[in-house]
Amino acid sequence: MTIVGLGPHGERASPPERVTLLPQDIDAARATRLHIAIVMHTMESDWSQHLVQGMVGLLGECGAIVIDVVDCDFSPEKQIVALNRLRAENPDAIISLPVNNTTVADAHLEVARAGIKLVLIDNVPIGMLPGKDYASLVSADNYGLGKIAAELLSSHLPIDSTAAVLGYEADFFASNEREIAFIQWMEINRPDVSVKSARFTKIENAGSDADRLIDENPDIAGLFVVWDTPCMEVIRAVSDRNLTLPISTVDLGTEVTRVLSQDRGIVGIAAQRPILQGETIARTAITALLKRPCPDWVALPGIKVSRSNVIESYQIVWRKPAPRDILRGLDVLTSN
Amino acid sequence: MKFRKMDVKNANHTKGKGRPRSTETAVASLVDVINLVRLGQATTRQELERIGEYGRAIVADRLATLKDLDLVDENATGAAAGGRAPRLVQIRKDRARLAVVNLEQSSVGVGVADLTGKLVSEHHEIIDITDHYMTIDRIGALINWMMSRQPNTKDLWGISISVPGPVLTNSETPFLSQTPDFLPNWDKSGLVETLTQRFQAPVWMRSNIETMTMGEFFGGDGLGLQSMLFVKVGQRIGAGLINDGHLYHGSSGAVGLIGQLPVDYNNMTGTLDAMAGSGMIKAKGIAVAASGDSPLLADIMSRTGDLSAIDVCQAAQMGDTASTEIVVQSGRLIGSVVATLANMLNPQLIVLAGSIAQSNDILLASFREAVYGASHPLVTRDMRILRSQMNNSAALLGASNIAIEALFDPPFLKDWLMLGSPTKHPEFLQSLSQATAKPPTIYDELPPPAAMERRSE
Repeated sequence: MTIVGLGPHGERASPPERVTLLPQDIDAARATRLHIAIVMHTMESDWSQHLVQGMVGLLGECGAIVIDVVDCDFSPEKQIVALNRLRAENPDAIISLPVNNTTVADAHLEVARAGIKLVLIDNVPIGMLPGKDYASLVSADNYGLGKIAAELLSSHLPIDSTAAVLGYEADFFASNEREIAFIQWMEINRPDVSVKSARFTKIENAGSDADRLIDENPDIAGLFVVWDTPCMEVIRAVSDRNLTLPISTVDLGTEVTRVLSQDRGIVGIAAQRPILQGETIARTAITALLKRPCPDWVALPGIKVSRSNVIESYQIVWRKPAPRDILRGLDVLTSN
Repeated sequence: MKFRKMDVKNANHTKGKGRPRSTETAVASLVDVINLVRLGQATTRQELERIGEYGRAIVADRLATLKDLDLVDENATGAAAGGRAPRLVQIRKDRARLAVVNLEQSSVGVGVADLTGKLVSEHHEIIDITDHYMTIDRIGALINWMMSRQPNTKDLWGISISVPGPVLTNSETPFLSQTPDFLPNWDKSGLVETLTQRFQAPVWMRSNIETMTMGEFFGGDGLGLQSMLFVKVGQRIGAGLINDGHLYHGSSGAVGLIGQLPVDYNNMTGTLDAMAGSGMIKAKGIAVAASGDSPLLADIMSRTGDLSAIDVCQAAQMGDTASTEIVVQSGRLIGSVVATLANMLNPQLIVLAGSIAQSNDILLASFREAVYGASHPLVTRDMRILRSQMNNSAALLGASNIAIEALFDPPFLKDWLMLGSPTKHPEFLQSLSQATAKPPTIYDELPPPAAMERRSE
């Protein structure tokens, strides 16, 4: 699949293959015994855990020591504290997923000013520039993910119906792109569908926010939630109302995959490839530390997942067999 | 300064007859005070008194008025210099937002900026701008979406657009009332008219060479420099110039059209646009894919059915020999033309930008080689040649600064300041009423996009 979105500064995407490490690069990295810290927005999702797994594994192959993996719990304050603390440790590089576009910008800029290489994941605080303030941004094609999610939901929406987007209140490149792309796809391809939108501030509130959205718009016939963890809150809220509502989301987390396989509301998932993305991030960090030029934006295409291809998609994304209950949900297995 | 002295005189004249409140006679000093604050020339009451040459009472009165208008605040404190820390006078940057738009041949970027000109949010996407109506509607939808993410700042005070062609401007009009002819047939598109009516805000427009040059100067590698040459490479090739710390605008805005210059390559003559722009890169890429000279491009062609200039640049970056030759030709030809400019202007910095330059390092290398090879050693001794790090954000940042300069230009500002918003400027309201009196176009009848339908909480 091709990349359909543009980067946070309008950059054209570079494919992951642009960042390759030759055996001599790996030897050079091993010889320098690099120290690298990882600062994640959260470690509570399957996506985050697999992304870190991909990063840590490849960094290990390059002889780089991961000195810390921080879970910021979506808190700007925690991220600022973590970045300041890690800056004092003076690692060679910090790989960070900024939790928003504004309040954490200065802490990230301080890292760059301290001469520590910064590689960003999924989001760039406003005002930060590639090559100057950070080495590179590595993300999925989030615009493409939003379009995939719209397409997957569309076939479940009746003519002249209403769809809704539940977005994320924080100004965040990845979720913004998904929301904009979903709405645009509907405007172009389903002009008969009216799109309502609301945004959740915290994952644990996503269910009640969805409740309120449905209360205000009882004609909603389908819903898109911008990633899987809040989507599970929405699934529970919708289930509590005894409502059957087709839902699409992003990220092939185990829980949403289970719901998709058991046909309990989720009709499709736009999946990222977090292990591959993690490896790409690690390669980008090593490339930057070897003082070789990095693309401004490296983007990975998404995978369109429905019940018909969920098993093989799970294997591609997680690089392991799908759990037995998922296989049973799809009638692949009959025994326990 | 003329207004300032008159104002001080008026203030003295009323001394002893009760504290004078700001009236229209004080507007000139209000304009002066807000611009001193906005430009950071005076950040405390004491500095306003000293730099503005105002008495304490005048400063207090003008600040009270500007606070009533919600245009400045004194919420922050500065560094103490022996005594109590002074209150900082600052522009209320979140009083309103500016929408900024960058239109390219194959993409659109939309952002919002605060009243200091700083970008608050931005988004870029691919678009085919040959469809004027769809493009205008998309710009409107994206501005709506951006503003929906500004729940605490609902006022939109202006829209500044950066376009891929020269914009002939009339310095006597403070904002546009109709769409200029920046690309063929766009003057009939209704872009300015539609956005003005839909958002009830003034619209400004400049070429994206000008906006990107300003953006690099205000937020990129040109920050703090006095002279900079900006070169943008795309389908067209253009240049912008910062001289003595100011953007060179020319007599009417048609600056830097270097793509029109004739160049020679392999006994062929053509314009720089035709011989080195993205059109040439794409055409030659398709040719080497078809001839089999580039198996990589042939593979892309067979998979996607098409090939872009970006594909050729990325193939060059990945080591494809035929693609590298194409990109090197482009870089050398552009460099040979820019060397002439460098020898004439002696800039501190040359910034190479545009999607073609951004997608690979080979163009920059061959461009540098040509510029350094054809320039006098005194010119290149301290001159740096860099690739833009801002990409299309430069255009948005430059556009926001054009809007800020227009909003706070004293002749325009004095007529809206006491009304609290430029959207209440008498000339703008008159322009709006004339515009709405015109027969509606198809876009006037469009309902707000679904993106605007957002819960009210």
